[in-house]
Parts: sequence; structure tokens; C-alpha cells
Amino acid sequence: MTWLVALLLLLAAAAGSGVVLSRDPRRQIFAIAANGLVLSALFFALEAPDVALSELAVGTAATPLMFLVILAAIRMDRKG
Amino acid sequence: MSTRLRLALFAVAQLCLLPAIWKIARALPPFGNPIEIYGRSIDTLGPPLRHISNMVSAVNFDFRGLDTVGEEFMLLCAVTGAVTLLRGIRGEDRGAKAERLPGRPLLDRAESTILVARVFAPLILLFGLYMVLHATVTPGGGFQGGVIIASGLLLVYLGEGYDAWRCLAPSRVFDAMEGGGSLLFLLCGLGPMAAGGVFMENLLPLGSIKDVFSGGLIVIENASVAIAVIGGFAMLFLEFMEETRAAETENER
Amino acid sequence: MSVLPWLVAAWLFCVGIYGIVTSRNFVHLIGCLSVCQSSTYVLLLGIGYQWGAVAPIFYDHPPGTPAVDPVVQALVLTDIVVGATVTALLLAMALQVSRKHETLDPQKLRPFIDEGRR
Repeated sequence: MTWLVALLLLLAAAAGSGVVLSRDPRRQIFAIAANGLVLSALFFALEAPDVALSELAVGTAATPLMFLVILAAIRMDRKG
Repeated sequence: MSTRLRLALFAVAQLCLLPAIWKIARALPPFGNPIEIYGRSIDTLGPPLRHISNMVSAVNFDFRGLDTVGEEFMLLCAVTGAVTLLRGIRGEDRGAKAERLPGRPLLDRAESTILVARVFAPLILLFGLYMVLHATVTPGGGFQGGVIIASGLLLVYLGEGYDAWRCLAPSRVFDAMEGGGSLLFLLCGLGPMAAGGVFMENLLPLGSIKDVFSGGLIVIENASVAIAVIGGFAMLFLEFMEETRAAETENER
Repeated sequence: MSVLPWLVAAWLFCVGIYGIVTSRNFVHLIGCLSVCQSSTYVLLLGIGYQWGAVAPIFYDHPPGTPAVDPVVQALVLTDIVVGATVTALLLAMALQVSRKHETLDPQKLRPFIDEGRR
């Protein structure tokens, strides 16, 4: 079990770096969703089911949607 | 401050931070062997004291309930701020048409999307309700279940389209839920004071362990947090989506 | 292995700050801020973990089995939900900045610049 926690910790570091290194906001949305998923798996491995449920719903559904809608609104302001 | 100067300052700050990080990482207790006196005492004493088997809910709503009051009002303030910012410029009316970029086609919603959304939205709303109700027995609680229900409302939007979604999910109901949930949570704290106890003292009958209605005041606090979180997130989604609608005064479409 | 979570949390925080310092778009900056927040979650949950312990939910196990720390889990749980609403507030502010100044570049939005040097 220690290898699972270690692997998920390294994956979380990689996912966080992926969010920062995606400079285009439209690509960054998918990186944010992947970060939420990896963090949720890490929290499950660390025996925290409540936290994992919360992070799953927020990090993969709510936050990327808000980013997407704001990008659409900004783009429509520019062009329209 | 130019870009190069800012990057140089950042590099200097990082170099000063790295030895401190290493020293602190060595000084913390090793991972997996924590010093958890408070946590262990809650794990052993919590179930007989409050007749509840989900210790995280017990800490959230009973042992550290004052912190959750603060978090709840932080949520209220953030949602109020975002809604005020967006509505202050745009007004409170509903836009009738979606805003379109010139030159991009307006596609109908795919039938498969509508089918999947209509099948799964009630299931997810029911699952969220199950999460909220089982706060005291299994992993769950007001915060988790509230976000799941708010995400289920997004599936309703995908299945029904914008106009039907705004009719099904009226804005005034979520306004009332947001404020009413926070008020109910505060009354759960002030009510025991009026009855002669201390702030948020658990004066209600405690029930039996492994029962859904156990824990006394925790049940009411959990429901109030769920109502407030649902109202808050739904308000945010509604206001954000409304930003992508065309303004009423433009008449070139 | 015994210092890995602390190092991962420190790495996430530093990478998030680097993203904020070198960002050219406000929406990207808000995403990097969420990475900084997730570093605190990893740190807190790493502090509470115990090898061989179960989750602090005593439905199947009798109360008294070694369990992980529930206090840090309660902290992180409320923090995640409230952090999402604060992110929404920041995104609304970014939208207003975009409307008022027609640009989302933090390095072009420096205050008190006279017209000649812009």
C-alpha cells in the first residue's frame, strides 16, 4: 500500500505542474479537471472518503464549468 | 517593476525558502506516525458521547462547530460578492436569447446528450440527497451532498436547455435557500443559548448510534449547511450562465 | 518516503507561486492559485495519516480501532467547498477587468502609468 500512496503523491505533483504549465486557459480547464481527479484518488488512498467526495464534485464538475463559462463570456465580449 | 526584476526577486525568495523547507520537512513527524492526541481522543470518546459514527461530521458540526459557522459565512460572503459583481452591471432580468459569435453555427443539442442527461440527472440528485441525509452514519454530509446536488442541477441544464432550466430552477428560491441556510445554522448556535446552555450545545435527544437521526443538533446543522451550499452554488451557476446571454437592448439580431 | 508528502506539498506551492509570478492571463493565474490551495490539502491530510489505520467512520469497525485523524479531514472538507466559491468570486472579478480594460494580461495592467510609457 505504500507504493500506491507514493505513486499518487507523485501523480499529484505532476498534475499540479500540468495546471501551471498549460498557459492557454482553454487547455488549462482539462488540466484542472485532471488535477481534481488525481487529488480525489489521493484522498481516497489516504483514508479520507468525505474529503475525496467533496474534491471530486468540486474539482471535476463545478470549477472547470465556471472557468469554461467565464472564458465564453470574455470571448463574447471581445467579438460581439 | 519589470518582468526580469520580478523573476529575479522570485528566484531569490525561492533560494531562501528551500533550506527552510528541507529543515521543516525533517522536523515534522514522519509520514504515517503522527502525533495525534486530539484525533485519537475524538475517535475513542466521540461515538459514546454523541451517538454518531461519522467522526468527521461530529468534528465539523459539534466539536468544532464554531469554525464551521465561520466557513459558512465565508461561503455566503463569497457568493454574495460574486452575484453582486455580476448583477450590478447586468441587472436582474433574464436574457431571452443566447449570445452568438458572428460566423459560428448554432447547433441543436444532440439527442444522446439529452437522453443521458435526462436519465442521470434524477439519479444524481437522489444520490446527493442520500449523501446529505446520511451525514451521521456513512461518509457524507451537508458540504459533499450539497455540491453533488448542485452538479446534478447542471445535468438538468444539459438535458432541458436554458429556458426550461431557468423555469425549473428559479433564482428567487436559491436566493432564499442561501440566506435561509446560513440563518438556520446561526440559530442552531444561538438557540441553545436562549434555552440556557452554551453556544451550539447539543441539547436535543441524541438517538441511537448507526441511526440516521442521531447526534441531536448535528442533524439540523447538517441540513442547514446542505441548503446553504445548494443555494450558493446554484446561484453561482445561474449568474455565470446568464453572462453568456445576449443583452436585451441590442436589436441587430 | 517519510518526507514525501511534505516535499510534494512544498513543490505544489512553489510551482503555483511560479505560475502566478509568470502568468500572462488572469484566468490562468486563478488556476495556479487553486494549485496553491491543493498543496495545503495534501499537507494537512498527510499530517493526519497513520499506517494501517482505517477511515474515521465507525459503521463497520467498532469504535476504538486505530483511525486517521478526523480533525484535519474536517478542516480540508470545508476548505475545498469554500475555496471553490472564492475561485468563482475571483473569476467574476476577472470578467469585470476584461470588460473595463479590454485586456487580461497582468503585466499590461500596471497602475499609475502615464500614457507616454505604455
